[in-house]
Amino acid sequence: MGRYFLPRPIHPFAWWVWAIALAVAANGTTNPLLLAAIVAVASLVTFARRGDNPWARGFMVYLVLGAAIVVVRVAFRVLFGGGDGPTVLLELPEVPLPWWVQGIRLLGPISLEAVLAGLYDGLRLATMIICLGAANSLANPKRLLASLPGALYELGTILVVAIGVFPQLGESVLRVHRARKLRRSPAGRGRRRRHKVVETILIPVLSDALERSLRLAASMDVRGYGRHGTASTNERRWTTSIGLAGLVVVSVGAYLHLSRTAPGPTLLGFNVVSLGLLFAGGLLVALAMRRAGRTVNKSTYRPIRWQGAEWLVVLCGSAMVAAVTITQRSAEAAVLVPAISPPTWPELTTGLLLGLLAAALPAFLTPAPSLADVRVLNTAEGLS
Amino acid sequence: MPSTEHTDRTSPLVDVAAPVVGVQLGWRSWSIIIVSSVIGLFTIAWPLLMPAVDVAPQHADDAPYVFAFLLPVVLMLVIAQISDGGLDAKALALLGVLSAINAAIRPVLGAGTAGVESIFFLLVLAGRAFGPGFGYLLGFTSMFASALLTAGVGPWLPSQMLCAAWVGLGAGLLPRKLGGRAELLVLIGYGIVAAYLFGALMNLWFWPFISGISIDGYPGGSGSLDYVPGAPPGDNLVRFGWFTLVTSTAGWDTGRAITTTVALLLLGRPVLGVLRRASGMARVIADPC
Amino acid sequence: MIRLEQVSFRYANSDALRLRDVNLEIPEGELALVIGPTGSGKSTLLGCINNLVPQFTGGVRSGRVLLDGIDTTSLLPRELATTVGYVGQDPLAGFVTDVVEEELAYSMEQLGFSPSEMRRRVEETLDLLGIADLRGRPLRNLSGGQQQRVAIGSVLASSPRILVLDEPSSALDPVAAEDVLALVSRLVRDLGTTVVIAEHRMERVIEFADSVLRVDAGGSVTHGPTREVLAGSPIRPPLVELGVRQRWDPLPLTIREGRRHAAEARRGWVEQPPTLPAPPGAGPVTLAAERIVVRYPQVVAVAGVDVTLRRGEVTALMGRNGSGKSTLLWALHGAGRRDAGTVRGAEAGQVALVPQTASDLLYLASVAAECANADAEAELAPGSTLEVLQQLVPGIDPQSHPRDLSEGQKLAVVLAAELSRRPGVILLDEPTRGLDYSAKQALNGILTQLAEQGHSIVVATHDVELVATTCHRVVVMAEGEVVSDGPTRDVLPGSALLATQVAKVTNPVPLLTVEEFLDALH
Repeated sequence: MGRYFLPRPIHPFAWWVWAIALAVAANGTTNPLLLAAIVAVASLVTFARRGDNPWARGFMVYLVLGAAIVVVRVAFRVLFGGGDGPTVLLELPEVPLPWWVQGIRLLGPISLEAVLAGLYDGLRLATMIICLGAANSLANPKRLLASLPGALYELGTILVVAIGVFPQLGESVLRVHRARKLRRSPAGRGRRRRHKVVETILIPVLSDALERSLRLAASMDVRGYGRHGTASTNERRWTTSIGLAGLVVVSVGAYLHLSRTAPGPTLLGFNVVSLGLLFAGGLLVALAMRRAGRTVNKSTYRPIRWQGAEWLVVLCGSAMVAAVTITQRSAEAAVLVPAISPPTWPELTTGLLLGLLAAALPAFLTPAPSLADVRVLNTAEGLS
Repeated sequence: MPSTEHTDRTSPLVDVAAPVVGVQLGWRSWSIIIVSSVIGLFTIAWPLLMPAVDVAPQHADDAPYVFAFLLPVVLMLVIAQISDGGLDAKALALLGVLSAINAAIRPVLGAGTAGVESIFFLLVLAGRAFGPGFGYLLGFTSMFASALLTAGVGPWLPSQMLCAAWVGLGAGLLPRKLGGRAELLVLIGYGIVAAYLFGALMNLWFWPFISGISIDGYPGGSGSLDYVPGAPPGDNLVRFGWFTLVTSTAGWDTGRAITTTVALLLLGRPVLGVLRRASGMARVIADPC
Repeated sequence: MIRLEQVSFRYANSDALRLRDVNLEIPEGELALVIGPTGSGKSTLLGCINNLVPQFTGGVRSGRVLLDGIDTTSLLPRELATTVGYVGQDPLAGFVTDVVEEELAYSMEQLGFSPSEMRRRVEETLDLLGIADLRGRPLRNLSGGQQQRVAIGSVLASSPRILVLDEPSSALDPVAAEDVLALVSRLVRDLGTTVVIAEHRMERVIEFADSVLRVDAGGSVTHGPTREVLAGSPIRPPLVELGVRQRWDPLPLTIREGRRHAAEARRGWVEQPPTLPAPPGAGPVTLAAERIVVRYPQVVAVAGVDVTLRRGEVTALMGRNGSGKSTLLWALHGAGRRDAGTVRGAEAGQVALVPQTASDLLYLASVAAECANADAEAELAPGSTLEVLQQLVPGIDPQSHPRDLSEGQKLAVVLAAELSRRPGVILLDEPTRGLDYSAKQALNGILTQLAEQGHSIVVATHDVELVATTCHRVVVMAEGEVVSDGPTRDVLPGSALLATQVAKVTNPVPLLTVEEFLDALH
């Protein structure tokens, strides 16, 4: 037990599964109390278990973005027709629009129902985005890239290179900009010259970066990048065919899921055929990815192993989804979509509360993030 | 010299053509690109395309979320397919560096809010200089890198990546034979079209999320710019038209078109020169002469 | 261990042979030094060992390459990753990841080592290089020497038996360079790694090199024992130059050997001191700076420095990295920060500064366009800059791309653009970085020529040999303060770090260059 709580990073996939589960749960409800509670849970876990890398500090941005989404959604309701409800809050004059603007209403009376509908919908979207933000902060993207499947190894490498080069670009720009000051002649300022400044900075920085990129390519080449074997043409043809088949099956499954008349029996409210097709398509795509990555025999330095804590995180997220799904199928389903007309006070049930509690558990029952990030940061700041 | 055992053999010749940076697209890649583009277009433009394939309005509420899960799966497969076999270290390093530059330019030259805004001039020029396959991948990696480095990962990312990839692919497919002023004019024209199309597609994606979906019997009524499932496509097109006009065509999209035009006018030729030089620059690792 | 048989090479789109019929054999555990003027094909030769040339660069190569008895002629560089470790000039450009530990593991990840094996080897490599305390640090925050050590470590981790180093110290200051070269010599001694190294600071390497490969202009390569090859080489360190001119046998490679040979001459000079060339008379003051202070939030970069520059005088600004040399130059020019103090004589256009990375100022597609642009910016008659450039360095093709030029040529283009405005004072920030002996000789010629035309020149540099031949005065800085300031002959010989090779051989007699040594004998 003592070893379980030793600080270590949790596998990034676990955090993403947990966050997506929370987002799925949020998708199933417009209950503002529940949505607010999900945001609270996501924030709690994020603040308790995020590392100290630059990405971890980005969570606030998502909170602000969520608030902005709610405001925009309500504003749209108010500006473009918010009158469909009996409880009028404010009588605004409707702005007359020319005849060719069909069916668009600008301003007009604003009803409580319209504002609430905008608020609830906006809150739902905001919650989902904040959940993704939590995943973004909890899972170090560099770790995530290192854990990508073999088929996406090239993509991962490109992004690792990009992340490595990015700060160098800033330094390069500063250096060139400083050097430009030496050449500034007193005469001939003005707009043309200011435009030229962009060129005089961008071209050397770009040339420098491209020359570097070729040195980098040489360095990667001599250090064994891409040494894995290449699959035979026949094998590749199969991989492509399986992938294409997977895409088509998934699309048909999605179509059936959304279509008016899905054939076949239903189980627990889900259509068996569409769900089966989605599942089979997913399986085919996974198989194609596996085949495409088969030739890559790259290993990972200090990999994060999938252990008990990862299972716990995934289970906790799933519990939230289960709570919402069970409530949907129960007699208390109305709790998830509180009535707007007439407005009722939203409530929570014991089941949902238990789900929320479970989703919050990773804040306490997972090992703390390793302190390596903190150490790196301190030394880095001490230097600059 | 103990080379007697070799002297009778003819001296082997290793002849390697001057390296050209680019990403090869075979028929397999093209087939995946086409299929994924059709699916991708549907996941973005479903509000307007759905009536054509008869999808139940009562499921419309689910649609954006179903598609938001579908698209990443499609993208993973596409990227895996294209990078399988066609990507050498040079193209890869160049993709990484250009993605980082794109990610750096985005917040500096375009007011990037949650990744809605972006400018395309480098993407267009790189697609032009290194071909469609490179441009296509650069679209993906630029948006991904930018999300990781500055803008943040969100549900909008996959559709953004796909649209940017189309922009890069299209730039690579422009007629090869142009040069000089004509080339620049065509690139600018393409840049403007791409800026508005990208904007329209992204708005189409955001539309149901931002404005809302009007559902029969849903309390609280609907806004007049909302997507109405089951309504004739024409009606929805009009609503979307107004939505996109109000939200961004006048502002962001035009801004993006203008920035792209100005950047291409001022920097197009020198940057294209620098990029094209990169193809032959492999010898920088050996002696300059 | 390494055998090249009849190797010739040319680039894909040119007919000129870069290497011609190269035959050589380097036994296991030896250190071979590659020398030759810039652009002669040193890097091409190094690239041939792990087939970067021609697989990466493109081109046509004939002949056979054998590593450890195995014919590797047609293998790809990545297939040789466990056999040959290759380290380039600029370590930062070769880093794939951004943290020390991950960079050390990168190669092993690509080769599919098991995680436990990787962990063990990373720890060993960290200890071997003495950088265990840097393990979690971002690579770009390291000093140049630390970066280069990580770069060497990152190829060592997968334990190659051959190490190829292409000018590993050219971008480093002397202390860091020594660090890196000491590491290389330890690898040869302790691990028995076969090392091939191109290095322009040859005096640091020749003492432990087993053989020397000389690449000549036509692409032919001479391979032989260090002394033999150096004796016939057009470029050689001052000590060897002295030995050759004095016909010392065996040729001295270390200061100790040199002092033994020169013992007799030194005894003679103790009895009858040689007449030393008198420093040139001081001209009128062109720039006078008093109590210059540059302060950043964390550090004081320049702490109240007085500088006086005179007409026709070349001043060297020396001191370790971070001692405030560069900041002082920028403050004197006026483009940099200056928090206190006055500079007289730095009126508009009177002071020119050539920054450390000269190519930052080049953005046009040809040398001619750059020159024309400089003419337009300074409102000069068209062609004046190009004319100055042709005087400085004859033989640059005006139509060539500035980025295709060698470091020395790029420097000349930027310098010409500055000179066309006829500044009285010229400041050069580390112009010797990346220059080899011949390029430094050219720079020496340029500086002498400019001083004779009446310019005041300041050169921030680490290169004592250049200072000894070119500069009249030396200012040494440490922690933002001037710690010594005086004529070159007073400052250099007395210092353990700044003395030239000849000065170390003749100490206590203050002779600085080979020419002075020879003159003193007669």
